[in-house]
Amino acid sequence: MEPRPFSEILKTAGLYLLLSLAAFILLFPLFFSLSLALQGPTLAPSLIPDFNDLDWGVFGTTFAQEKNFGRWILNSFVVSLVVTLGQLITCSLAAYALAMLNFPGKNFFFFLFLGTLMIPWEATIVPNYLTVVNLGWKDSYQGLIAPFLASGFGIFLLRQYFMTIPRELYEAAVIDGCGRTRYLWSILIPLSRPALGTLAVYTFLNTYNQYYWPLLVTDSPEWRTTQVGITAFKSSEVALFNLQMAGTIIVMLPTLILLVLGQRQLVRGLTAGALKG
Amino acid sequence: MRASSVEDKATIGEGQPKGLLTAVSTAPVRPVAASRSLFWRIGDLGWALLYMAPALAIFAAFTFIPFFRSIYLSFFVTDQTGSPVRFNDIKYYTRVLNLDGSGRDEYLNSILTTIKFTLLVVPPGIAVAVGLAVLATARVRGISIFRTIFTSTVAISVASASVIWALIYNPSLKMTRWVIDLFNLQTEGVLLDPATALPAVAFMTIWTSLGFNFIIALAGLQAIPQELYDSSRIDGANGWQLFRSITLPLLTPTLLFLFIISTISAFQAFTQFNVLVANEGPDETTNVMVFALFSAFFKDNRYGFASAIAVVLFVVLLILSLVQFRLLDRRVHYQ
Repeated sequence: MEPRPFSEILKTAGLYLLLSLAAFILLFPLFFSLSLALQGPTLAPSLIPDFNDLDWGVFGTTFAQEKNFGRWILNSFVVSLVVTLGQLITCSLAAYALAMLNFPGKNFFFFLFLGTLMIPWEATIVPNYLTVVNLGWKDSYQGLIAPFLASGFGIFLLRQYFMTIPRELYEAAVIDGCGRTRYLWSILIPLSRPALGTLAVYTFLNTYNQYYWPLLVTDSPEWRTTQVGITAFKSSEVALFNLQMAGTIIVMLPTLILLVLGQRQLVRGLTAGALKG
Repeated sequence: MRASSVEDKATIGEGQPKGLLTAVSTAPVRPVAASRSLFWRIGDLGWALLYMAPALAIFAAFTFIPFFRSIYLSFFVTDQTGSPVRFNDIKYYTRVLNLDGSGRDEYLNSILTTIKFTLLVVPPGIAVAVGLAVLATARVRGISIFRTIFTSTVAISVASASVIWALIYNPSLKMTRWVIDLFNLQTEGVLLDPATALPAVAFMTIWTSLGFNFIIALAGLQAIPQELYDSSRIDGANGWQLFRSITLPLLTPTLLFLFIISTISAFQAFTQFNVLVANEGPDETTNVMVFALFSAFFKDNRYGFASAIAVVLFVVLLILSLVQFRLLDRRVHYQ
């Protein structure tokens, strides 16, 4: 085996240099936040912390300083999990009807669901806000959750997947006396785990990261979600630079972990889900 | 045991090359099994309605009815509770578009600000993402770690990113002061200066949207058949020629798609404006449409007027979505 020519090695080294430089620039805001978080309650933090004097206790201090911090995390998880579960149910049911059943008016419903993708949230925000206020749903889980329990994107994603499962299977199952609902529950759903996983990761991430809607429908501090909470915390008097950054890091952790663990699902969802920014 | 044989079939059915965005087909439903009796179809209708009922109820309550209500409200003056009290004709629309002859053009300016913001975010954002994606196609050890890093901002919420960037832009920090002095910016903070506030928010937005743009660009690059490169390389083409004559033309559909999607999301940007600036900005230079909409209904309780802004925004976004659906359709047929 011939040794690799010098120019080749140089090229590879240059490539790594470029990749590392790009990665460093991209991650800079995250290094920045970690650096500031660990520097203690100083008013003039420097870019690079003193590595002999790192204040790891800051993450605990954040919880002590902002009494509702734990509650915000709880709220975000409750809302994101219920929305994710709700969408999995409503979307698979609707997608099943569109993909497998053959009924009059199917095209009408198809375009009705497609229509929801054409209506951006701005176009409905004022009446939705008024609805929640009039129902007395401000500062409640139902106000944070209900509007997101169905998704046109989810329906189309699952419909598409259901349609790849051979139709003969459905016909055979029905002839064998398998009910429609049982077919969905015991055959279609288990077979569609990849698509359901994609929808779940995508929905959880989007819901956890919501800002606008929780900002509108929550007033009291204990009903905030992490995203609204962290921005409110930023402008509060007790929050020094280190606490702001520590709080932000805590808030970002769940989705960063989700990215590492569920990257494939997430990428699949995003390349498909690009339909709706 | 029955399920496993089924699983094989399902994978075979899925086996055809899956390019970008084919996971969601918007092609209309084709009638299946025409031989089925009417009796069956009527039976299916009942079940179908039952299965679709939960989704339909949610959409009716939170999408369709509110949508028409928005249009209705935009023609009325409303009271504090959002009930219409007086028919207002199209006055709110003429006010937003500055056609009422009053010369008060802050809402027209807001539309222009939104367009300016979009131009600052979209082309550079896509260019950087494509550059990163080209880098990330390199076949070297550990490339997947770099890919994960380049994807990472997709998991970071705009709210958290805004809190971090608010500090990066904070002029009391030595580093920021240093950068301000380096570029000789005569300013007390980039977010407080009318000349730099909008570009600063745009720069931060490019960062937050980079992960998503990178994923799409990389998927587009990976869909290009490798043989094309191999055969051109044999013919003696260099790296730049390969990029110009193979990558760029074959990536055009992806780029068009990214362009539309990024434009739509730039038009919808709100969080970063509310966290970084929290008002209309210096000389109203960051008062984008969604922020004007927010101020109108949430701060001023002017529900009718806010609805008019929302409808104008909807029309703009609808045009963009229709362009996008056309592109998407073509792509699906192409495959």
